[in-house]
Amino acid sequence: MTTTFPEPRAAYIHVPFCAHRCGYCDFTLVAGKDHLIGEYLNALDRELQTLQTPREIDTLFLGGGTPTHLSTSELQRLLVLLSRWFILAPGYEFSVEANPAGFDDDKIKLLTHHGVNRVSLGAQAFDLQTLRLLERDHIAETIVDAATRVRRRIANFSLDLIFGVPHQTLAAWRETLRRSIELQPAHISTYGLTYEKGTAFWSRRHHGVVNPLTDDVERAMYAAAMDELPAAGFDQYELSNFARPGGCCRHNRVYWAGGPYFGFGPGAARYIGGRRETNHRSVTTWLHRVFTGRSPIGEAEQLAPEDRAREALVLGLRRAEGVSRRDFLKLTGYVLDDLATPAIRRHVATGLLEDTETGIRLTHKGKFFADSVIIDFL
Amino acid sequence: MNPRFIRNFSIVAHIDHGKSTLADQLLLKTGTITAREFRDQILDDLDVERERGITVKARAVAIHYRHQGEVYELNLVDTPGHVDFHYEVSRSLAACEGALLLVDAFQGVQAQTVANAYAAINANLVIIPCLNKIDLPVTRTEEVLDEIETVLGLDRRDVLRVSGKAGLGIDDVFLALIERIPPPHGEVDAPLRALVFDSKYDNFRGVLIYVRVMEGAIEPGLKIRFMKTGTQHEVLEVGQFRPNNVKCDRLTAGQVGYVIAGIKQLGNVHVGDTVTSALRPAAQPLPGYHPPQQMVFCGMYPIEATDFEKLREELQKLSLNDASFSYTPETSDALGFGFRCGFLGMLHMEIIQQRLEKEAQIDLIQTAPNVTYELLMLDGQVLRVDNPQDVPASGGLKEFREPVVRVNFILPAECIGPIMQLCEDRRGVYKSTEFLGPTRAQIVYELPLAEVIYDMHDKLKSVTRGYGTMDYEIIGFRAADLVKLDILVKGNKVDALATIVHRSQAERRGRNLCKRLKGEISKHQFEIALQAAIGSRIIARETISAMRKNVTAKCYGGDITRKRKLWAKQREGKKRLKQFGEVEIPQKAFLSVLETGDD
Repeated sequence: MTTTFPEPRAAYIHVPFCAHRCGYCDFTLVAGKDHLIGEYLNALDRELQTLQTPREIDTLFLGGGTPTHLSTSELQRLLVLLSRWFILAPGYEFSVEANPAGFDDDKIKLLTHHGVNRVSLGAQAFDLQTLRLLERDHIAETIVDAATRVRRRIANFSLDLIFGVPHQTLAAWRETLRRSIELQPAHISTYGLTYEKGTAFWSRRHHGVVNPLTDDVERAMYAAAMDELPAAGFDQYELSNFARPGGCCRHNRVYWAGGPYFGFGPGAARYIGGRRETNHRSVTTWLHRVFTGRSPIGEAEQLAPEDRAREALVLGLRRAEGVSRRDFLKLTGYVLDDLATPAIRRHVATGLLEDTETGIRLTHKGKFFADSVIIDFL
Repeated sequence: MNPRFIRNFSIVAHIDHGKSTLADQLLLKTGTITAREFRDQILDDLDVERERGITVKARAVAIHYRHQGEVYELNLVDTPGHVDFHYEVSRSLAACEGALLLVDAFQGVQAQTVANAYAAINANLVIIPCLNKIDLPVTRTEEVLDEIETVLGLDRRDVLRVSGKAGLGIDDVFLALIERIPPPHGEVDAPLRALVFDSKYDNFRGVLIYVRVMEGAIEPGLKIRFMKTGTQHEVLEVGQFRPNNVKCDRLTAGQVGYVIAGIKQLGNVHVGDTVTSALRPAAQPLPGYHPPQQMVFCGMYPIEATDFEKLREELQKLSLNDASFSYTPETSDALGFGFRCGFLGMLHMEIIQQRLEKEAQIDLIQTAPNVTYELLMLDGQVLRVDNPQDVPASGGLKEFREPVVRVNFILPAECIGPIMQLCEDRRGVYKSTEFLGPTRAQIVYELPLAEVIYDMHDKLKSVTRGYGTMDYEIIGFRAADLVKLDILVKGNKVDALATIVHRSQAERRGRNLCKRLKGEISKHQFEIALQAAIGSRIIARETISAMRKNVTAKCYGGDITRKRKLWAKQREGKKRLKQFGEVEIPQKAFLSVLETGDD
């Protein structure tokens, strides 16, 4: 089967610096090593040169780490560097992740000056106990302050929230949702806390120092988000993401659509020509490799056509609209039903999946059990 | 061949006491194999055997040794060392006049040393005791010699000192074989009587019969008759094992070798049968053997129903070379179509199962093994039951009988207490204790086989920190207060999870079983009740609560590879699940019945 791969029109840049590492976080980042920022920018410069020519893109995403942890001048250098390699097409989306603490007006101004038109604020929670447990360096007022100031310049902003934190109550979570809505963001992400190997949380749970919430409470929290956010006008367009009309994150939608994207920086992933590559997750290894002219790639996989199709299918199922038979055929060259009839039948029967004839999508109940469905489609 | 220059012998030993290594050394020293051909354990030609370092099937090899100007033919008939294959040991011994009894110079006399030594003594063989591994840095020579005298009643002055590995004392072994073992008696001119001690199927040549000629001679062209089955065949070829098959003109009284007689099916050859001449038959057949008794049974089911025929073919192939293994089709509500397979013991079962998975590559669900039972019905009929499912509901049953074994433990004296406790907990009946020396003892118990086969050996090893050994023999069936324990999953009886247990243990076993199943069956989107029942009476219950949520929160560009691998792993795990009603039961659950754990 021959498929032509379109050029990516999305790019992700990983900025691996934070003031400190929170206990639940397993992202690629270094804390307390700000002296590496200069070298990081030099290395990023070199990695970007592999593009050879500037590329026109529709979405650009600066994630971390904490991109806004960079000083104003470092941030400026980064933005200038990016503007050299990426031409933002008309109607583009340029997102930056930001930490509420330390996100001052100078940085906001600088971002807008360089075309940033979407900000994602790592709010996580509004109650002090949960924020402390998550080891965040802000309090509710910091979020309100940052959001208020961002909103003046960038209306398209999002709040990231975490539920299922030990000791977090359903009432506290509802309050977090309520206060988030109050700030009138265009977008809200809700993430169930997971205990990832290698994090402090993982070993605390392993040693019984923290006890995860029960399934029942976690489910109730997720259900609360699924009830209350739509009631406030936020559509659940992906399992963990809610947006007001026009507020979806277009960059992230590329991932779920099985589309191609560039990736730069340590731990960044790219998907080009059916090949997914992930840069080395260690910041210093990545730096070293880039400087010595070696490939920064830590792992790579070339997906066979069917695997590519199945992956697109399970990612697509995360979206509210699910997977359309026509789009799936167009994207992958496979007829959906040839790949998945038994799984479709099974899960229509379990009530987790809905077959609308034009396509398939998770039901309301199915959203709670997405992984149970997904594994049958792989 | 003049019988004066023939010696037929076996090597018997406890497992790992160096039998195969010594055998290899004997072949190497006599040039039967060259150093280049030398590979460890040449007699073990099954992969499984070499992998596990154990001998499963009987094998034979002819060694030529020059002594005082004469060439002697020394036929080594190898024997399996494991308790499951006692049956094959006795077969091999019947083809010999003598046996080398190997005892590890450090480990000393162990349970199978005793069992094998007595088997050889009972077969009227001359025993040549050898202290093996004398090159080890630490040996207990004097104590071990004491043990040989006390337990086996052999004279310490007759014990040879050897090392199979280092090649020490090998000439003494040859000398002892020639001088101590009597030559076979039996007239070359008498009517032919040859004992069939094994058989093997060869894709190209049909069945090879392994024989020990007792009287007369056998050669190509001779019309032979099997005295038991009465079938007649014409001999096409005879030969010896050196160690590969080497054709020869004839096999005469006293010799060991193979016969090819155009027999197509292994089923037509009965091990223990006597081969005689059709034209000049012997008056009496040789004593022969008891047929092997399958005591351990389990169900084997293909995970994919479409593999059923493939499984049947593979089982048939395996049974061609292993007459001691049986299989009959059966059906289970839970598992569909499969086979009930019978084995000599647990090791035998494991070996067959491994070969199935390795050679046939069929994904199997194996049910927990059980022993065979006897049911005395009110009408006087006695039923053999080798599947718990087949136990009729209480009515009509007068007596429930289970197989009982006599177990011989050899262990450090300080472990006697814990082992006695273990045996009492398992309904054992104490028989005797004997001290082999100041620190080691032999205890004998009678125990239900069902309490022995699953994990007695593991328990013994753990209690004695590896120093205890055991051996057992079946002594018969005895009545016991047994009941069938059913397991219900979400209200449905899962036949493949039923077990037979003693009434006094039913409740505890039921509780434990439910608990273990709870650990094996993952959460579903609904609640699952797990119940243990005797008849209609529920005696234990556990509940698997419903899964409330199973969704990956974050899934962006950098997560996709990792998540997909995670999902793929979950999916792989699901493959080994069997859908039972709405509930998916993993393969492992069917075996959890077996673990007695810390009940």
